Amino acid sequence: MIEAKAIVKSYRDGDAEVRVLDGLDLQVAEKELVAVVGPSGSGKSTLLHLLGGLDVHYRGEISVNGSRLTGLSDRALAGLRGAHLGFVFQSFHLVPALSALENVLLPSFFAPRPLAPAEARKRAEEVLARVGLESKRERAPAQLSGGERQRVAIARALFGRPRVLLCDEPTGNLDARTGGEIIQLFQALNRDGLTVLVVTHEDRMSSAATRVLRLREGKLFPEGPPP
Amino acid sequence: MTPGSLARLAALSLKRDRRGAAFSAFGVGIGVGALVFFVALGAGVGRVVRDKVFPSDASLIDVVPPTLSLGSILGGGKLDQSTVDRLSGLPEVAAVYRRMQVRVPAVSHYEGDFFGSHLRMGVEVLAVGVDPGLVQGDVQLGDFTDPGPGKPVPAVMASRLLEIYNKSFAPARRLPQLSRSMLVGFVFPVDFNRSYVAQAAPGPSTSTQAQVVGVSDRGLLAGLTIPLETARRINRTSGADAETYTGVTLQAKDPSQVPGLIDTVKQMGLQIDDQERRLSESTGAAVAVTTSALALLSILICALAAVNIAHALFASVRARSREIGIMRAVGASRADVQRLVLAEAAAVGALGGLAGTLGAFGLAAAVDALAVAYLPPFPFKPDTFFHFSPALLAGGVLLGLLAALAGAFLPSRHAAGMDPARALAG
Repeated sequence: MIEAKAIVKSYRDGDAEVRVLDGLDLQVAEKELVAVVGPSGSGKSTLLHLLGGLDVHYRGEISVNGSRLTGLSDRALAGLRGAHLGFVFQSFHLVPALSALENVLLPSFFAPRPLAPAEARKRAEEVLARVGLESKRERAPAQLSGGERQRVAIARALFGRPRVLLCDEPTGNLDARTGGEIIQLFQALNRDGLTVLVVTHEDRMSSAATRVLRLREGKLFPEGPPP
Repeated sequence: MTPGSLARLAALSLKRDRRGAAFSAFGVGIGVGALVFFVALGAGVGRVVRDKVFPSDASLIDVVPPTLSLGSILGGGKLDQSTVDRLSGLPEVAAVYRRMQVRVPAVSHYEGDFFGSHLRMGVEVLAVGVDPGLVQGDVQLGDFTDPGPGKPVPAVMASRLLEIYNKSFAPARRLPQLSRSMLVGFVFPVDFNRSYVAQAAPGPSTSTQAQVVGVSDRGLLAGLTIPLETARRINRTSGADAETYTGVTLQAKDPSQVPGLIDTVKQMGLQIDDQERRLSESTGAAVAVTTSALALLSILICALAAVNIAHALFASVRARSREIGIMRAVGASRADVQRLVLAEAAAVGALGGLAGTLGAFGLAAAVDALAVAYLPPFPFKPDTFFHFSPALLAGGVLLGLLAALAGAFLPSRHAAGMDPARALAG
């Protein structure tokens, strides 16, 4: 489902070149729930951005769902993100001025063959129901709790019926109970057939994964099975 | 991203920053409104000058004999029938209308009822005879031909003379306002070869009557336009020249042939009486220059509005950088982001343009209403000082749209070029 080979990603820091990812290899099979763990600044978010085609400045090769990302045009990458990938971020990244429903509908505007407005709204309501927020669809993000906001963000990621969910510290801004509910939601989605790749530094998230990889010195190393 | 999706998303974006959008649209509206207002004013005033003050047919040329020319010494430059025949033979000429002035003085002494008022008046009268074809279209009573001695002479009044009478002469003397139809049929006495101020010609004087049979833009401004044969008869009776003409009006087959025809006529040793045409053109040019200066000022306001939009959009794009990152993450391409910013600006510009155009329309209506209420009547005072053509109205909206798009171009490129990963990282 996801394959990355010999990925090298570096930043310039003044005259010095800082290699964040240094010959990284990754393979994620369909319907896996993989956690990539590592300390802050180890390059976890950078890896996620590369896998999602949001950052194209790297060396190596990345394939998602059989499509080779390397060398794809901006339009093709955008199409791939809209059709196959869903993103969930630590700080939710909802548009404050839009209601929960409008936030979920956001991907529908960029689809090359968009659903009719009524059909898109119906689907948005369905995914909001799937994350348990059907009754709060007209609320603005500011009127929702942290857990609810993250559920809206997950609903938005699910709107396009993606094959892969890429999650960047999805429980990082949530308390233990709410974070636990979100982890359960990811597990449920994974059981329904969704491939989930989570980058996290939280044990409770990694313990829910079917496989855990540790990012260290720009490379991924497998961790032992969770206890 | 389909156009429908783009429109819906742009509407959603604008809805949440109504104040900012309204402010930007206001700037565009002021510029567009000023432009539409001044251009409509220039067009309206120009139309009054062209159609009412100096009405002229673009295909007509007035030919007169030269005041001094070698041609006359050599046998040319005289407007007799043979010259008229030569002019008729020119390939560009569709019709020739001869004009012969009544070459003796004339007066009119009137005392009696004048449309409900008592009028006592004695005036010197100028009269010119013309070929009937020149004014036939404006004749509303009988034939415009010489009726023979002892019968009322059919006379056409100049529409401009009627306007001056109604707006200047009549109000000052508490005389009734006259319409064209009221005037038609009016009979008044005229004595040819008689004058209050000068000596008459040696021949006999003729007392007769004139009857107004029509009002025409082609009528003599300060006098009577009568049938050519009547003028010839009066001149002959009074012993004046009844053979040569004081002028000839040529009708070109096509207005585009007029300049060439003028050259040909001048080569024949004749002159062109283009005083009115030149006056009309110079007045029109003055109006056009003033309008252009004001329009330029308005375009400057539009340019400032575009700069304001650029400034506001740069700020908006910076403030929305994370939102743009989110859009990229959920499937927006760089081009989609650029189109979205441009679409938002286009909506603001079109709304501003529409509001400005409607505002100009409203302001013009208010100015017209004030002119009716407070400006005293004067000759050629129009019902409206403005002319709003459909092209001007569409152009106003289009200008607003273009100004906004010009202002949005750089911010939209900036938005499209944002690194989504960096924007999301905050």
